[in-house]
Amino acid sequence: MKTNFIKTVGKIALILVPAITLSMNASAHDPKMHAKKAEKADCSKMDHSKMDMKDPVAVAMMKKCMKQSKSSMEKMDHSKMKEMDHSKMKEMDHSKMKEMDHSKMKGMDHSKMEKKKNKKANSDDHQNH
Amino acid sequence: MKALKILLILLLLGGASAATVMYSGIVNVAADEPHSDIVYWLLEETREASIKKSAQHIKVPDLESPELLLMGGADYEYMCSSCHLKPGLEESDMSIGLYPQPPNLSISHETHQHGTDEELARKNFWVIKHGIKASGMPAWGKTHSDERIWAMVAFIKRLPTLTPEQYQVLTAID
Repeated sequence: MKTNFIKTVGKIALILVPAITLSMNASAHDPKMHAKKAEKADCSKMDHSKMDMKDPVAVAMMKKCMKQSKSSMEKMDHSKMKEMDHSKMKEMDHSKMKEMDHSKMKGMDHSKMEKKKNKKANSDDHQNH
Repeated sequence: MKALKILLILLLLGGASAATVMYSGIVNVAADEPHSDIVYWLLEETREASIKKSAQHIKVPDLESPELLLMGGADYEYMCSSCHLKPGLEESDMSIGLYPQPPNLSISHETHQHGTDEELARKNFWVIKHGIKASGMPAWGKTHSDERIWAMVAFIKRLPTLTPEQYQVLTAID
């Protein structure tokens, strides 16, 4: 008697669980249609040659894209740039660095500076300046 | 005295008839059942006359500023496009389901415009600010400044000329 009861409950559960699960997902159309996502301006399709810069629409589009480009530059995470390949920076023009104000470097705490193991490999080492 | 009695009886009969119609439930208020032509005409004419009268003294500012387009574009996308559509979207759940059907503002004014550009701007400003009773059009003026509403009017003015790509850029969030 008890075994029959458990079997019946098991059968009901087998039918009900998938039915309830499916009915929760059932809808007339894709629910994504209702989700308003904040989209960034897609400036890649702008054809500057065809733009009349006297048209307020063109000017507004330029402003939006310039603002977006500026803000994305500001949001760049410089801390993630540790793996920059300094070996490609050999062509730095040190002659233009004459106007560096070394007097302001008095307070530099050298004890907190990580020493490079292979100084020769790093041509951009400050000690070579 | 006799005329007064007749008038009173007519008034009572009229009131009783109206109450019978109201409380019997015979009037179908379903949005998927359109009004008869005469009822639709009466409501439309009443609405248009009311808006025209209420909006007649509104002063229209310069609507050609690019800043207005940017401000109005973002608001239009989030507040209006689901009902009044946008370039590349010809229908939506709201545009199909609402009754009376919201006008498609992404198509050219030439097909449904009444009056000059200035009259249309006044009308749009008034409708956005005050809304329309029992139509699904909210009164955005309760939560939005006149400046933001004028920005939406400026954007709506240019909307039929925009491509989907232009619309996307103008309405995107910074």
